[in-house]
Amino acid sequence: MKLSAIRPIALVLSREVAITLLLLLGVSFVVFIILYLSPGDPFSALLEGQLSSGEARTGAHEVLGVPPSWYARYLSWLANMLQGNFGTSIRTGMPVLGEVLRVGINTLILTLGSMLVTLLIAVPIALYSVVRGINKISWPLTMFAYVVSALPVFWLGYIVIYFFTHKLGLFPLAFGYAAATQRFGWLYALLPIFVLGVGNGTISEVIRSLRDEMGRVMAEDYIRTARAKGASVWKHSFKEGLLIPVTEIVAAKIPFILGGAVIVEQVFNWPGMGRMAWQAAQDRDYPVIMGIAILAAVFVRLGSLFQSVVYVAVNPRASKE
Amino acid sequence: MKTYSQISGEIGEFSDLPFWKKADTVDLAYVVYGLLIVTFVVVSYLLGSFNLLPHDPQDLDLELMMAGPGTVGHLLGTDFMGRDMLSRLIVGIQAYFLPGLLAISISLLFGTLLGVLAGYQGGRSDTLITYFTNLVDSFPRLVLILLVIAAFKPDIYIIMIVVGITNVPVVASLIKGKIQFLKQKNFIEADTALGLPTRTIILKHILWHNCRSLLIIQATLGMGEAILMETSLSYLGFGVQEPTPSWGNMVQSGANYFMKGQFWPSTAPALAILFTILGFHLLGDGLNNILEGRRGK
Repeated sequence: MKLSAIRPIALVLSREVAITLLLLLGVSFVVFIILYLSPGDPFSALLEGQLSSGEARTGAHEVLGVPPSWYARYLSWLANMLQGNFGTSIRTGMPVLGEVLRVGINTLILTLGSMLVTLLIAVPIALYSVVRGINKISWPLTMFAYVVSALPVFWLGYIVIYFFTHKLGLFPLAFGYAAATQRFGWLYALLPIFVLGVGNGTISEVIRSLRDEMGRVMAEDYIRTARAKGASVWKHSFKEGLLIPVTEIVAAKIPFILGGAVIVEQVFNWPGMGRMAWQAAQDRDYPVIMGIAILAAVFVRLGSLFQSVVYVAVNPRASKE
Repeated sequence: MKTYSQISGEIGEFSDLPFWKKADTVDLAYVVYGLLIVTFVVVSYLLGSFNLLPHDPQDLDLELMMAGPGTVGHLLGTDFMGRDMLSRLIVGIQAYFLPGLLAISISLLFGTLLGVLAGYQGGRSDTLITYFTNLVDSFPRLVLILLVIAAFKPDIYIIMIVVGITNVPVVASLIKGKIQFLKQKNFIEADTALGLPTRTIILKHILWHNCRSLLIIQATLGMGEAILMETSLSYLGFGVQEPTPSWGNMVQSGANYFMKGQFWPSTAPALAILFTILGFHLLGDGLNNILEGRRGK
């Protein structure tokens, strides 16, 4: 690439990174405020384990140097977090960051895999209905996508487990880590990935937005020109009609898929962030769920950072806006 | 996207036909199905709240467990404890109906407020609202709700306030886009020149005449969202607790019998969820295509 092509990308990248950091600061503040408002003073638990209420707590705060004002508490909490100290789990006593990162990998595999499944189903349907319009094949396919998007993902999970492991015996019955250590145990991972990919409720939306965008691009003058002179229509419509909308919708749907992961991990006993979040909410284990919320927000922001990089790389004009 | 909806929006405006005549048959079918489901839900909610049920939803009938649909006396069969499925499904609507309305009202009210601020005033408030939108969109909704549950308590109204707040950005950005589009069409300028008060311009000319269909569509989609959230959470065990029925915990408690080949107790509520959410989605999309003229002729 020429230098002139890299410069706008670098410019936008630095701006986007700044925005991302600003938003993550906001995320940490929202998390702090929720916990600050909650009854039961999570900060005593967060900083020094559980303490009884009343004077003992006030005294302990003074002894341990917990700042009295809320903004000082926020700043000290933020400073701790920036040094990688997210506190320790109330239930297990382990440091939160290490635990969350350990299971975060599993969630990342699950979400990325299921996104791929979603796209593999949605993109062909969308392209077909753009090219052929609404006909005998595309209408039932679109309808099917609607039905699948409304399907409760937990029930879909049960059906898949029942048929693939009980009826057909195709996949190992052992759940979670036990399966991962077996030979072909990784095959078991395909089931939750497939279920989340089909049942995360985004297929119909992906189809709709792709169809709209692709339809708009197909009506543009430059596509008509390309068609008239016999050039490849796909080649000319790919960037604007497919690449940009796909990255846009994938970035926008990451939060939904992460939310769906909470349920699918529960159904399949998948040792990921969602299951940990569920457990933490059951136990009211504040530090853990805070760590998860912040890490999930980091995932989401990285996704949209990636999207804007793709957008600028495809369309350098965007950097001048 | 912008230019496309503008063009089709303008075409839609100059035809005098009533909207159902220029609409697509498919869209009309979506809307009819959706309205049917909405009527079903509202009627069932009323039946449930006035206790007009075929059976007592808590009544055990140990003689008749796991009856399939169509059993005499139990139209939709019974669950694993012999409780009447139809009554439990009807009562299950109580779990999400009012909380869902709360979520919708919050998202519509604050979304409209922010959207008008950003679209009509623009400038700094627009930047702030964009920031707020991105901030809310950073959290996976379910994770945010689990955080709130851990911090406060698993109360459905608190949860639905969170659902409502997370829907605010969508409504706000739609209203904002609509107002920015309307601003190009001079009638707002004419209003100002005529000396109409800003209140009349915003409430009557912008919101009532030009944004009401958009708000109805968002309300519909928001209800689907709320049902999805409630069922997911009661499936996870944070919503309504057994023996009070909710569709989510019915699926969950029936699931123990699923692996033994007894599908009905968890499939019936799952189908109820499926058809209801589908109805709200199709109603929203169909209305969107017809009223906002995205595919209309």
